[in-house]
This record gives sequence, C-alpha cells and structure tokens, in this order.
Amino acid sequence: MIYKSRSEIIYQTIIHVIVILVALTAVFPLVYVLGMSFTTKAEMIQRNYFVIIPKEPTLEAYKRIMASSVVWHSFLISVFRSTVGPLLALMLTTVGAFVLAQRTLPGRKLFLLFVLATILLNGGMIPTYLVIKQLGLINSAWSMVLPLMVDSFGLLVIKIFIENLPDGLVESAKIDGAGEWSTLTRIVVPLAAPALAAIGLFNLVAHWNSWFDALLYLNDKSLYPMQMVLKNMLTVDSISGDNMNGMLKSTQAVSTETIKMATVVVGLVPILCVYPFLQKHFVKGMYLGAVKG
Amino acid sequence: MAHSIPRPGASRRPAPAVAAPARRGLWQRIAEHRILYLMFLPVIAYYVIFRYWPIVLAWIVAFKDLQLGSGVFSSEWVGFANFRVMFEDPEIVNVLRNTVEISVLRIVVGFFPPIVLAIMFHDLASRRLKKWLQSAVYIPHFFSWVIVYGIVFAFFSTGTGFVNNVLEWLGYARFEFFLSESWFRPLLLGSALWKEIGWSTIIYLAALTTVDPQLYEAATMDGAGPIRRIAAITLPSILPVITFVLCINLGSILFAGGEQILLFYNKAVLDSADVIETWVYREGLSRLQFSIGTAVGVFQSIIGMVFILGSNFLAKKYTGRGIW
Repeated sequence: MIYKSRSEIIYQTIIHVIVILVALTAVFPLVYVLGMSFTTKAEMIQRNYFVIIPKEPTLEAYKRIMASSVVWHSFLISVFRSTVGPLLALMLTTVGAFVLAQRTLPGRKLFLLFVLATILLNGGMIPTYLVIKQLGLINSAWSMVLPLMVDSFGLLVIKIFIENLPDGLVESAKIDGAGEWSTLTRIVVPLAAPALAAIGLFNLVAHWNSWFDALLYLNDKSLYPMQMVLKNMLTVDSISGDNMNGMLKSTQAVSTETIKMATVVVGLVPILCVYPFLQKHFVKGMYLGAVKG
Repeated sequence: MAHSIPRPGASRRPAPAVAAPARRGLWQRIAEHRILYLMFLPVIAYYVIFRYWPIVLAWIVAFKDLQLGSGVFSSEWVGFANFRVMFEDPEIVNVLRNTVEISVLRIVVGFFPPIVLAIMFHDLASRRLKKWLQSAVYIPHFFSWVIVYGIVFAFFSTGTGFVNNVLEWLGYARFEFFLSESWFRPLLLGSALWKEIGWSTIIYLAALTTVDPQLYEAATMDGAGPIRRIAAITLPSILPVITFVLCINLGSILFAGGEQILLFYNKAVLDSADVIETWVYREGLSRLQFSIGTAVGVFQSIIGMVFILGSNFLAKKYTGRGIW
C-alpha cells in the first residue's frame, strides 16, 4: 500500500473505526465489571447504578469475599483442579503422543483410530454419570480431574510436533542405547516443551473455566470449584447455602451487585494472568491444529 | 524414522534401517516394542474406562428401563420404547425443534462476522495497532460461560444493568430482558458472538498469511481499489477455508450449546430455550429418567456423527481438506 488514493484513505478510516469498536466491545465489559466491583453502595444509589469509574473506590466487596470461607474454599478447589488436572493430563497425553509418533510401531494406526474415534462418538451425559458413579467418584474432587486425564486434541497436536522433530536427535539417542522412557524424558520432552506448554495452558484454562462436571458429579457444596460458586451467586438470588446468604446480603457499605461483580473479577484474574502466555502460543497451536488436525 | 533398537544379544552391527524390520515377523516386532505398549497401557485404560465404557452403557441403557436402585444389567429390556416416547412426547419434540433452531441460528449468526473482521484485520495498515486490537478481541474466548453470564447480567439485569440504566436515562421503562421470550435467543447468540468473534478470525488470518503481498501491490499499481482487492485477491484466497469452516459447523447441528443455555434460561423462557442437553440434565438426570435421557443422548450422538461425517465428506470434496 505504497500509493494512497482517496478511496484507500476512506477504506482505512472505516476499517480502523470498525475494528477499534469491536475491540472496545470486547474490553469494555471487563472495565465496567471491574469498576462496579470497587463501587460503594452509597455511590451506586446516588448515581442510580450508572457507574463506570467509581469516584471513591472501595475494597469492601473484596474484603467480604476474602472473609467468606465458601469463596476461599472454592478458589482452592479450582487451584487444585487447574494444577493437578493439567499436570496429569500433560503426562498421560505426552506419553500417548510419543507412542503414537513411533512410525514403526505395529498397530499404530489402530491405536490412533481408537483415540480419535472418541472425538466423534461419546456416551453422553447420563452414561458418563453412571460410569463416574460406578467408579465411586460421585462427591469426590477427582471426578473433575480423572475424566479429563487425556486430551485427544492435544495428543494429536503433540504427536504431530514429535513427528516433525529432526529425526537424527531421537535416532542418535536410540543408537546410544537409551531406552524408550529416557528418550522420551531426556530428548523429546525438552524439545517439545513449547507444544507441551501450549497444551498445558489450554488445559489449565479449560479446568479453571469448567463447572458443569461439578454440577453433575458433586453434591457436597464444600467441593464446588469457583465457577460453580459464582454460578450459584449469579443465577439464584437467595441461596440456601449457609455462608453465601450472609455474604451476598447487601450492607451499609456494599451492595449485592458489587459483591457479585467482585466475584466475577476474582474468577477472571487467573485467566488474564495466563493470557499473555496463551497468546504467545495459541496462534501457532491453532494453525497447526487447523492445518494438520 | 526406523526405531529398531539393537537388542542385547543381537549383533551390534546396525541393521539396514528400512528393509530389515519388514522382513522380521510381526510377533518379533511387537516384542521389540513391548516397552512402548507398556507405556501406552494407561492411555488405553483411560479411553476404555472414561470414553468407551460410557458408549457401551449408553447403548444398553437406551434399550432398557433403568430405575434407581436396579443395576444397569438387571433392569428390564424394553426395545425401542424409549425412542418411541421421545418422538411422541410433545415436550421432547419441542426440545428437538429448539435444538435444531438454536444451533442453525448459531451457525448463521456466527458465520459472516468473523470473516468480515478477519478481512479488516488483514487490511489494517497500522501493524502495531493491529496486534493490540487482536489481543483485545481474543480475550473473551478464554472466559467461562459463567463469567460471560456474569457480564451479560451486569449489562442486562433489570435492577442495575447497564443497558437498563441507559434505557431509563433515555426516558424508557426498565425491561426484564431475562424473562422475555423474544429476547432470550438474541441474548444467547449475541453473547456467544461476543465471546467467539475474535477467536474465529484466527483460521482466516492464518490462511491469509500465505497470500503473497506482491499480489496486493500489483493490484494497487493496476488501480484496483480496496473493494476490488478484496473481491479479487482476499476472498478467493480464503474461500476454501470459508467452505471448510461452514462444513465443520454443520457438524454441530444438534449441539446447541447446552452449557450456556443452562446458565441463561429460566422458567419464563423455557418453551423457546430448552434444548437436548438442558432437557437431559433436568428431566433425565435430575428427575431420574435415566433411560429416556440416554435414548435422547444416543439419538443426538448418532445424528451428530452423521452430520460430522457428512460435512467432512463435503469439506473434502469441495475444498480438498477435511478434519482428518
């Protein structure tokens, strides 16, 4: 675009305006939610809940959340599933990918079909529930971790990554007499680290965001992850849960809405923290997935 | 990559990599790879327990009358009775209709905006700004539906929502968006579009990176304006990807996004909001109608598979690339 004609300038102006508007639409809700979470009740009422940037920001809502054992507990449960879950998944998925990347392995095609068929076919909600029940995982925090222990899509991406590693490196390890396991841990894992990091981060986000499994498999409220507590706060106005009721009660300092928004923020922050790393990896990962997957 | 490991006792001379393994017997080759099979065992165990066992159960339970207390195997076979109920019960028929309607609407609403946005991103002259704006539009993709619901709540709730504040400020009455049947689907589809529009541009932008920039320069030199360039270069280069995406989306025809609806719906909008997944959760699982719920799930999974296979076939036929 060396030569700038009139139509060129008009076109650039229009697309700049539209794209900036779309980007603002993506970001503005976050700013609004953040602003609301810091607003005092007095200001809410005075400005008729029309607050974007509070004049006298208050941490009251966050203090209330901190004081609530329900939110704290659920936060820890979420941390548990978002760390243990992806680590376990990464281990099993990498081993699976490594095995399926061995071109000489008899039955490799069959194994691959065995794994990929599950992307097409699934048992559905109730049969899966019955299996979890048969395994005795109802009301266990492991019901949120074990069913997600292998990530079929991630397995495919890591497998392609391993296959594209320079042949010589893996070969020479084998000629040096390294066994399969040490080839995997000493050669392949360090080389595939970027792909593993990307898949691990995606897994972490999936675990952090997940709540439906908790709804299905957990009756014990003390095992609820953060997203479940947030869901209960947002969708039901009066919750029978012991601490929640007191916590959501509007007081002199802060209104129910503000506490809800502060909880949304707490649910968001971890995602925003890993987002820069995600962004670094995902375009490549998506591209790989889209082209080869 | 030929992975023939020199076995202890075998000659140390490296075997000719390509020819040798083929000539050895299958059992010998399997034995050579025994460590790999051993490593793969936990993966197989996972798939058998968590992926294949539910499928087996689904096909059993759908043809039985499973009651609470009786086991899967001891309960009574009822043939196609559960499926018959499914097509006769007006509530379930309505659920099936909603499912198709909402998923078709999703495909339609979610289809063009990312293409337009991707083309605009591609043409954006300021590279730096482009990067920043891209980072912004991708963010919502990583939010959970609960968070998205929280945000929609902050904007549309009757008492304190931003939109209602604006309405009141403009002199209109506050409106109960969440209880309005005509607003349920726009809210659902709008928030889904908000969440995914940026993310969906990636596949098009990836395709556009392979277009030779000289084409654009040449076209500009020849006097082609921006619209002409889009029609002559940009669109033709992403047309295969557009067809591909459309075919793949058709595969989700019976998947209306139950997780999102479960958060968004309520009794007031149930008639136009209830889809297979929400119904199976509410009536099948919570009210213990395991067998009918499973039958509906099996139906969904079969139709879903037919559509995925069909759309993949179409994608391969028309674009030369499929999901696999």
